[in-house]
This record gives sequence, C-alpha cells and structure tokens, in this order.
Amino acid sequence: MKTEEIARVPRTIEWSRLINRASGQYYLFSLLLLAIVVVINAQLQENFFTPRAMNGLLRTVLPSLLLAVGQAIVVIGGGIDLSVGAIVTMVNVILVTQMGADATAAEVWRAVAIGLLAGIAAGAVNGAAVAFLRFQPLVTTFATTSIFSGIAVWVLPSPGGAVPSAFMSIYRWDLAGIILPVWIILFLLLAWTFVRNTKFGRFLYASGGQPISAYMSAVPVNWIRFTTYVISGFMSALTGLAITMSIGTGSALIGLDMTMSSIVAVVLGGTALSGGMGGVFGTMIGVFIITIIRNVISFANVPSWYQVLVNGLIVMFALAGPGLIDLIRRRRV
Amino acid sequence: MNGVTLSAQNLVKRYGGVVALSDGNLEVHSGEVVTLVGANGSGKSTLSKIVTGVVAPQGGQLLLNNQPVSFSSPLAARQHGIVAVYQELSLVPRMTVSENIWLGHELVSRSGLVRRQEMRDRTRALLDLFQGVMNAGVEPDTPVHQLAPSDKQIAEILKALSLEPRIMILDEATASLDTNQVKRLFELIGEWKKQGKGIVFISHRLDEIYRIADHITVLRNGKTVASAPVNEIPRRELVHLMIEDVEIARHNGSGPAPMQAEVSLKVENLNTRRLKDINFEVRRGELLGIGGLQGQGQSELLLTLFGAVPYTGSLTVFGRPVQLTSPRRAMKEHIAFVPGDRSTEGLLPVRSILENLMLPSWRSYGFPIRMIKARHDAQQAAQNLKLVMESLDAPVTSLSGGNAQKVVLGKWLLRSPKILLLDDPTKGVDVGAKGEFYKLLTELRNQGTSILFYSSDDEELLGLCDRILVLQDGQITAELQGESLTHYDLVAASMGSTGQELPYED
Repeated sequence: MKTEEIARVPRTIEWSRLINRASGQYYLFSLLLLAIVVVINAQLQENFFTPRAMNGLLRTVLPSLLLAVGQAIVVIGGGIDLSVGAIVTMVNVILVTQMGADATAAEVWRAVAIGLLAGIAAGAVNGAAVAFLRFQPLVTTFATTSIFSGIAVWVLPSPGGAVPSAFMSIYRWDLAGIILPVWIILFLLLAWTFVRNTKFGRFLYASGGQPISAYMSAVPVNWIRFTTYVISGFMSALTGLAITMSIGTGSALIGLDMTMSSIVAVVLGGTALSGGMGGVFGTMIGVFIITIIRNVISFANVPSWYQVLVNGLIVMFALAGPGLIDLIRRRRV
Repeated sequence: MNGVTLSAQNLVKRYGGVVALSDGNLEVHSGEVVTLVGANGSGKSTLSKIVTGVVAPQGGQLLLNNQPVSFSSPLAARQHGIVAVYQELSLVPRMTVSENIWLGHELVSRSGLVRRQEMRDRTRALLDLFQGVMNAGVEPDTPVHQLAPSDKQIAEILKALSLEPRIMILDEATASLDTNQVKRLFELIGEWKKQGKGIVFISHRLDEIYRIADHITVLRNGKTVASAPVNEIPRRELVHLMIEDVEIARHNGSGPAPMQAEVSLKVENLNTRRLKDINFEVRRGELLGIGGLQGQGQSELLLTLFGAVPYTGSLTVFGRPVQLTSPRRAMKEHIAFVPGDRSTEGLLPVRSILENLMLPSWRSYGFPIRMIKARHDAQQAAQNLKLVMESLDAPVTSLSGGNAQKVVLGKWLLRSPKILLLDDPTKGVDVGAKGEFYKLLTELRNQGTSILFYSSDDEELLGLCDRILVLQDGQITAELQGESLTHYDLVAASMGSTGQELPYED
C-alpha cells in the first residue's frame, strides 16, 4: 500500500507538469486548429498525405511563410508592418525588369542583389520613421505602402516580363529528395532558435513587452525597433524572390493582398498584436492553417465569394481565439 | 572596492513651467546609508532620476570622486556603478525572473549565445538572499507577471544588485514589502555597507528612516534644506524641516460642521483588496478630507464608495443599509464621483460643453430628449459654476484647466448629489480657478452636501476640510480635527506616527 502510493505520486506530478508545460506554450491553440484543418482537408482531398500533394503545399506556402516570419518579428518587437505586401511587389517588378528572359548568370545575381537591397532599404525607411521619428507604426507603414506600390507601378506599369528558366528551376531544387522549402523552414527555425538565445532576442521581447522597462534596463529600444523593420523588409524581399521564381513574371499588384494574411498568420500563431510574446514557430503553424483553409475552400467547390467571407471569419476567429482560451481558463479557476 | 563619493550640487529641473527641483544637493560616500526625505512633490524622485541618468538636469553639477560627470542615459550612470531600484518600473511582465534580472547585461558566451544556465544559477543565488521571506515557488523561470507585488519588488532589488553597483539608490523600495522582508533587506544593506557600497534610501516611513540611516538629507519644495548625520536630526525636528512655516489660509470661513447633523454615510468594516478595516461616518454639511502620502488607497476608497470596486463590509446611506455593486447603484443613492484624471475619466474631450454637462442626466429628459429644457438647465448650471466659455456648443477642450474641472463637477451637480466624492480634483488647476473651486465646494457644504475630498496637496486639505482621515497602506491611521488640524500633524501622521507620540515643543 505504502510503496504503491510512493510510486504513484511522482508519476501524477510529472504528468501534470507535462500538461502544464504544453498548455503554457503560446502556440497550443494554433496546434489544435492546425490538427482540425488537416483532418478536414484530408477528408476532402484523398491524396492529401502523398509526397506530391505535400510538396505542392510546401511550395505554395513558402512565400507567405517568409513574409509572416518577418511580420512576426516586427509584431513581437511591439510594431506592425502593413507595407510588406508592397515591398514584395516592388522586389518582384525590380527582379523582372532587371533580368529579362535571357539574362546571364551575372545579370541574375546583380538583379537579385538589387532586389534584396531595395527590400532592406524599404524596411530601413519604415524603421527609421517608427523608431527614430516616433511615427505611429500603423500609419507609417500604411503610408509607405502607397510609396512602395507607386515605385512598383513606375518600374513596371503593366504586368508582364519574364525571367530565365534556370532561375525559375531553383525553386524546384531538392537535396536528398527533400525540397527547397523544407530546407528553408528548417534553416529559419534553427536561425530563430539561435537569435532568440542571443542578446538581440532578449531585447526584442523586452522592447515589445514593456518598452519603458526595457529602456530603464539599458536596452537600446529604438535600435531594436529599427532592426525589426529592416528584417521585415529583407524577408519581404525574399518573398518577392520566391514568388518571382515560382511564377516567372511580374505585376505591380502581386503582393498587395499578402499583407493581411501575414498579420492573420502571426495572430493565429499565438503572437499577440500587443507585442512582447509569441514566436516564429507558431507563426509558421499559422501560415499552414491559412493555406490549408484556402485549399479546403477550393476543394469544397463553393462560390469564390465564400472565400472572402471565410477569410474574414478567420481574422475574427484569430483575434478572438486567445481571448476565448483565457476566458475558459478563468472559468475553471 | 575603492572608496567612492557621489555628490550632486545645486541641481535644477523644470518640467514645462513647473519647477520640480530648484536647488537639489545630495552627497553619498562608500559604506554609508543616506536617507532622502521630503513631503509629496518635494523633488525626491526628480533628484534620484537625475543621479541615475533617467532625466537630464537644467542646472547644477554631478561630481563622482570630485570629477564632474554627466549621465545621458541610465546606461551611462550604470557604467559608473550607479544603479537605482525602481518601483516595479523596470520589469517586463512576460519575461521570467532570471531574464528580467539579467536584462540589458546578459551573460553571453563567445558564440553570441546567452548563457541561460549560468544566469539561472546566479539568479538562484540571488534569490537565496531573500530565502524564507519570499513566497514559496519563486524560481528563476517563474514569469514575473505571476509574482506577488512584494516579490516583484525583491526582483527589482536583485536586478540592481546583479549589476554590482558601487552606489545603489532605493526609491521607496520598502513600500510593498512586509516586515520580515524589510528586516532582511536591512540586514543585507548592512552587509553592502561593509562591502563599501554607498546607499541612498528614499522612504516615507519614519521608523525605517531611523533604523537604517547614517545621514539624513531633507528636501522641501525642490530645495535641499538640511543634510546632517542622523543623530543631529531628531524625529520631531525632521517633520518640521519637511514642512514650510507658512500660515495656512482657511478657505472655509463658516466654522466647524454641525456635529449634531444627520449622518449621511456610515462605513463599517470596509475591506477591499487594498483597504483594511475602514470605519468612519460623514454628516450632512461636512467636508471630510482624506489625506496621506500618494497611493495609500485614497482613490480606491472613493471608488469603492462609488460602487466601482468589489468590497466586503457594510455601508449605510441616510440610515439605510445599501449594497453598492455598480456606479449606477451609487448614483441612485445620490452619490457622485469626480475623478482625478479629467481628460480620460471625467470628460469627453472632443464633445461640446453641453453634452459633457448633461451626460449623466439625459435619462431624466425623456424620449426624444427635451432639448430646450436641457439647454436651459445647462445654461443655469454654467452660470452657477461661473463657467468662462464661448458658448455651450464649444468643445470642452477649449476651456482652461480650472473651467474644465468645473464642468466635471457640474455634470454631477445637475443630479443634485447628497454625497460628493472628489479624487484629487485640483491637480493641474491654476491658483485662481482653485479659489473659485474652493468657494463652490464650501457653498455645497453649507447647503448640506456631504463631501469626501482627497487631495495630494496638504495645504488645500488643511484649508478646506472640517476633519481629515489619514490613510497609510489602506488603513486609517489617524483622524485629525480641531486642534490637531495642522500641517505638522498631517505630515507626521502620513509618515506613520501620530501627533501624540511626537510632543510638539517650541
């Protein structure tokens, strides 16, 4: 009897600890949601779990994923970036106009370098305005959206252009049967784990969580803010690169509706818009949720306006979800 | 550690037109505890903020070992070994105890990674300093938002300590600590002194000051008025140093309140999260002041009486027991509340004066609203208040601070309240408007309204009130009336000793 008790006690403690730890993770809600949408999708699409369908999904997901990761870093740092879609567009038209269908390798490299630099510069403009001039993030990036879109229209007034097919084939590259998007996701997760455990990572969460406290603790809050926008600009440029590789042409409208879904992905992934919490892993889950829901809608054969409706519902759900969980928890206490 | 001397000389700091510090002086040496003492608004916080680089002075100089220095940021002060313990100001709620303690000076390995385990271990060693007096279960990995206020304060102290300062400034660090925690802190301060640290200790509690101080520096109205070893400043002398010797003008000419008048509000055994065992009565036509240091529960008391804070205990209004569960219930009992922060709690800034005045009263104007009558009543109210305005339709933001405050009061007067609660209503109001405001309050009182009046301005309380309750840590620690209604007694009571304990000798 006595020994039994002794044996049982630590086990229950360990269980509750495990559950506590899991329920304490910010992306718990997102994981549950992902499981639900995966099940629904698998019901509608028979070959969902085949490598072919999976690879297709991953290639579709990659641009949104790169964009949302940049957005997540800005949001964790206490800001928001509405201009990411415009930067994607700008980089897309720059790449297309700088390359042409029969560009040499050197010209391709040059175009890519210009594209990436343009993205970083755009992020630096946002960052300088928000961090050093103390403009409102929402208003600032809303305004720069027009500027970057304007530049895109100026560079490429009507859709078109082409890129070398060798450039496009990079997107379909794989190593040991594992396709590029997987390697990129793995690399991003590794890089994020590293960054989170550096000073920068700590400063990022502190700046977003309580800027005054961070400042009092000698954290360079302004520089951290600035850097988040530069990172977001760079990630937007990478997104532009990925899109250009996958579709091979340019349009001054291509990225505009990606902004909203990047923010929704961040929120769905458990990162609060108030800043100071969340992370990149959850955001990635958020991106997968959105993409799979779109997939479901296209398989369910519903009129396209439903897609708009569902998108709206997702936004509301994403914003309400964490609050709902808190509400349920409080009830229980 | 070598000896170090920090000396602040003739510091001046103005915020806009307000002079926070006109001649601040402070000197602290290694191995010494200097306590900085002063009444509300005497410039203590400003002085400590200048010394730690949070704000820049507009005049005067700082000397470190006789070398002039200036700190452009908290980081600069920190690099010179000067660190402040703030009141929960520097903790990030979502981060853990360990992350917070090392925030800004993380231990980093050569590869750029944060040395988590080492920081955790050192955090544990720091937490061990307060072992036995903190709540159980505070670990290096506990998120700060889960900590009790006292444990947060201890985390703040440990955070400052982890910087290995040469001079440490504790700004009311004991305010949220219990007796055992204070005792442990004082033992630790004793050790730090031996290690050669210089300590600046800011506190409002007289007995703490005399337990820990080697040297006392007194501020009054932004000036350092005394600085001497502790044995040269006895307790009663200290209180005198803190208050100015001016005659306090009575704004309230008509003598003491009729003590036989009907009791309008009776509070018995009132408890909330911050208030403990509050008992008092107010009579018709009485102006009852609520005093004490800032943030001792005064606002909470008024909010509770307005039904905005859950409470236990019994309230009786005009002999009838009532349950004040919401502001609406309180309004039905003819209780009105004038909040302290005009712009956020008292007014709708972009709307017109008319709308602001009528907001609590629209219900009694029918459906659709009888606009002509409403306008007439508002005009009447504006006249009674002597409101200086363009027209009733001008936005309320076009009024001066004093006139805007009259609108906040006026909107409740239209409901003719019997009990009026005022939460520091004259903050940021110019002197002229204050005078009119006082006249208005006195008139209301003479008409039989019971007024509960909290003010952070001691002179105003003494000038207006028939009686003053002094709050400390959510408890009524003294009641001043008649003979004891003096500045000396008010300050002494605020700091934790009653006038009786401090014989007044001239």
